[in-house]
Amino acid sequence: MAASSAPRRGSEQRPVALRFTAWMRRLGSALARPLFALLLAIVAGGIVIIITTPGSPGDRLNAVFAAYASLVQGSIGDPQSLSFTLVRVGPLILTGLSVALAFRAGLFNIGAEGQLAVGATTAGIIAFKMPFLPSIILIPFMLIASMIAGAIWGGIVGLLKAWRGAHEVVTTIMLNWIAFYFTDYLIDGPFKAPNEADQTPPLPPKATIPTLVQFYNQTFGGFLPKIANPLSYPADMTIFLALLALVVYWFITTRTTLGYEIRVIGQNQKAAKYAGIPIKRNIVLVMAISGAFSGLAGAIHLMGQFPYQLIATTFSIDPTGFDAIGVALLGRTTAIGVLISAFLFGGLRQGGTFMQINANIPGDLVYIIQALVLFSIAAEFLPSIQRAWARWSGRSRRPALVPAIMGATVVPLPEKGLADNGQNGQTGQSAEQGADATLISGEEE
Amino acid sequence: MFFQTLLHVLLSSDLWAASLQFGALLLLPALGGVISERSGVVNIAMEGMMLTGAYAGVVIALSAHNALIGVLGAMVAGGLMALIHAIVSINFKADQIVSGIAINLAALGLTDYLSLQSGQGVPHLNNNLRLNNVSLGPISHIPFLGPVLFQQNIVFYVAILILIGIQFLLFNTNVGLRIRAVGEHPQAADTAGVNVRLVRYCCVVGSGLLSGLAGAYLSQGISGNFVTNMTAGAGFIALAAMIFGKYTPWGTAGACLVFGLGEALSPRLQSTGVSPNLLSILPYLLTLIALVGLVGRTIPPAADGIPYEPGTE
Repeated sequence: MAASSAPRRGSEQRPVALRFTAWMRRLGSALARPLFALLLAIVAGGIVIIITTPGSPGDRLNAVFAAYASLVQGSIGDPQSLSFTLVRVGPLILTGLSVALAFRAGLFNIGAEGQLAVGATTAGIIAFKMPFLPSIILIPFMLIASMIAGAIWGGIVGLLKAWRGAHEVVTTIMLNWIAFYFTDYLIDGPFKAPNEADQTPPLPPKATIPTLVQFYNQTFGGFLPKIANPLSYPADMTIFLALLALVVYWFITTRTTLGYEIRVIGQNQKAAKYAGIPIKRNIVLVMAISGAFSGLAGAIHLMGQFPYQLIATTFSIDPTGFDAIGVALLGRTTAIGVLISAFLFGGLRQGGTFMQINANIPGDLVYIIQALVLFSIAAEFLPSIQRAWARWSGRSRRPALVPAIMGATVVPLPEKGLADNGQNGQTGQSAEQGADATLISGEEE
Repeated sequence: MFFQTLLHVLLSSDLWAASLQFGALLLLPALGGVISERSGVVNIAMEGMMLTGAYAGVVIALSAHNALIGVLGAMVAGGLMALIHAIVSINFKADQIVSGIAINLAALGLTDYLSLQSGQGVPHLNNNLRLNNVSLGPISHIPFLGPVLFQQNIVFYVAILILIGIQFLLFNTNVGLRIRAVGEHPQAADTAGVNVRLVRYCCVVGSGLLSGLAGAYLSQGISGNFVTNMTAGAGFIALAAMIFGKYTPWGTAGACLVFGLGEALSPRLQSTGVSPNLLSILPYLLTLIALVGLVGRTIPPAADGIPYEPGTE
């Protein structure tokens, strides 16, 4: 591992001040584009409001401020709103990681929604079939089963891609609809609640996960003041599972051979082939892990949120799997990026419902803002696309997507590049790792 | 019992008429996808362009009191959404899948926002503003074939003409050759004097016009009103049909017919006692099996999804 330790030694020799400014510059360049995109989207959203609101120019401008004030208020304005936002953030992080991992391998997983549906339904079936298990076994069992179900659903996509060359966009669309209809069949058929239509009975209480406030009141309520109205704070303990998944994702992508191989496959399949990387196996593996993240997203929402039951047709209209694409892209497929953009998208969605009620502006404005963020992110990647192109044009079939998402992160810093020179074979790997280290430098340095 | 009902349903003209109706709805955006991707621009935004067209069709038909102006408005609206996609992906060289996702989101948000902002949603269309079914004279009375083929919505006939037109355009004309050249090898096409960007612009906007027309077919023709997210994934199924049909007009039409048949079949088999949810799985499952077993590898145009930069090779 001499190669990968070389850049680190190099950076130690630089003065602290220089390192700090370099770090700040990297942080700035990492944040500049998403922030600019967000600003642009907010301005454009304001213009939409101004155009569509009746009344004098003053009224129209007031409507803009009222809309954005209630958007912020409704998403993070008070503990209660924040709690509602967190409910959306957990599944968004997981599905966002799911899409992001596939992106890294150059695969476009738009099947997060279907994987989420089978994950949630599998968790529910476990609870209904094995209610005799004690909570301490049942809950982990449900969570793991949901991940396995999602992994199978995603793995099928990988298998079809690897061995039959079936385009993953088509197979995920097909599998999404199969998942929606099949889970609807299970929910409205074998597992239907007696005397109810289109839904299962609620999970037994021991199969549910407490909310943060319930947990706090039960654990610390004896000696600390209890929080009143626990039902107004719906965020549940599963948010920690989502955070744990972020760490797992960060570890897989930056600290394992698999993560490195995924990236090579995504950026240049021919290079991966000549380097002896097992492409087919890795494609299946990536899609399975990707599916597992989404499957878990379904389970945590089922187990953590009232009414703790499966309802037919909800999965096909749930926007989580779709938003996940935006989360992964905005987050540039990095763990920290996914965390931030999941908060942003979750907050926008939650704030949007509040805005509709309080400012009388349709909450759909949020979709428009999300779309504009994606547009400007996509168009802003121009320089990195060009750089990536100069390197791979003519040699790779579809280089645009992944390098575009990765953006500046794949470009190793000059001194690292120099340090790596001559270490043939290892060069690419350590440069990638070095580049990754810059991303998480906030925690490391 | 099940097979008896199945046979009975399969022999009814009603089933095939409905299959063709759904099939034509998918065919228009799918053909749009074919020309766009053949010119080298990935287009997954047919869903959004359809939805925009569906909204614009109803609103413009209502305000102009004319169904045809509504249809033209729908096509223009779809074309405008496509123009955004073209600008972002051709001029700004943005990732085309991201741009497509953004178009879909924007269309969903914008149509719903506008229909809510204007008060009580969008009203239902009167019959004179709708696109109605047309019986083609005496041939519409031919048993079985008449009701299936010759009593369809007017857009159905237009879709068939467009299908033949695009097949001819792509494979029998100079323009088609240029489109395919731009999608396969833009550098070579550029050297030969083809304006790569112009061709791509035209093809992308063309896909928007066709998707907008499909939107009008849905809102003004089939349902008679606009409701939130009324396309409900049809644009994505069209995308699947395009890839299933290997980016050829005829293949795409065949795939659309399979999806249309599946869509039409499941409600008609409910009397057998099999869950409609399970029946609805069939077309998607069949497609998966066909993709794996029969169709094999689908090879997209070589330059599909790659922005063109003059002077690179």
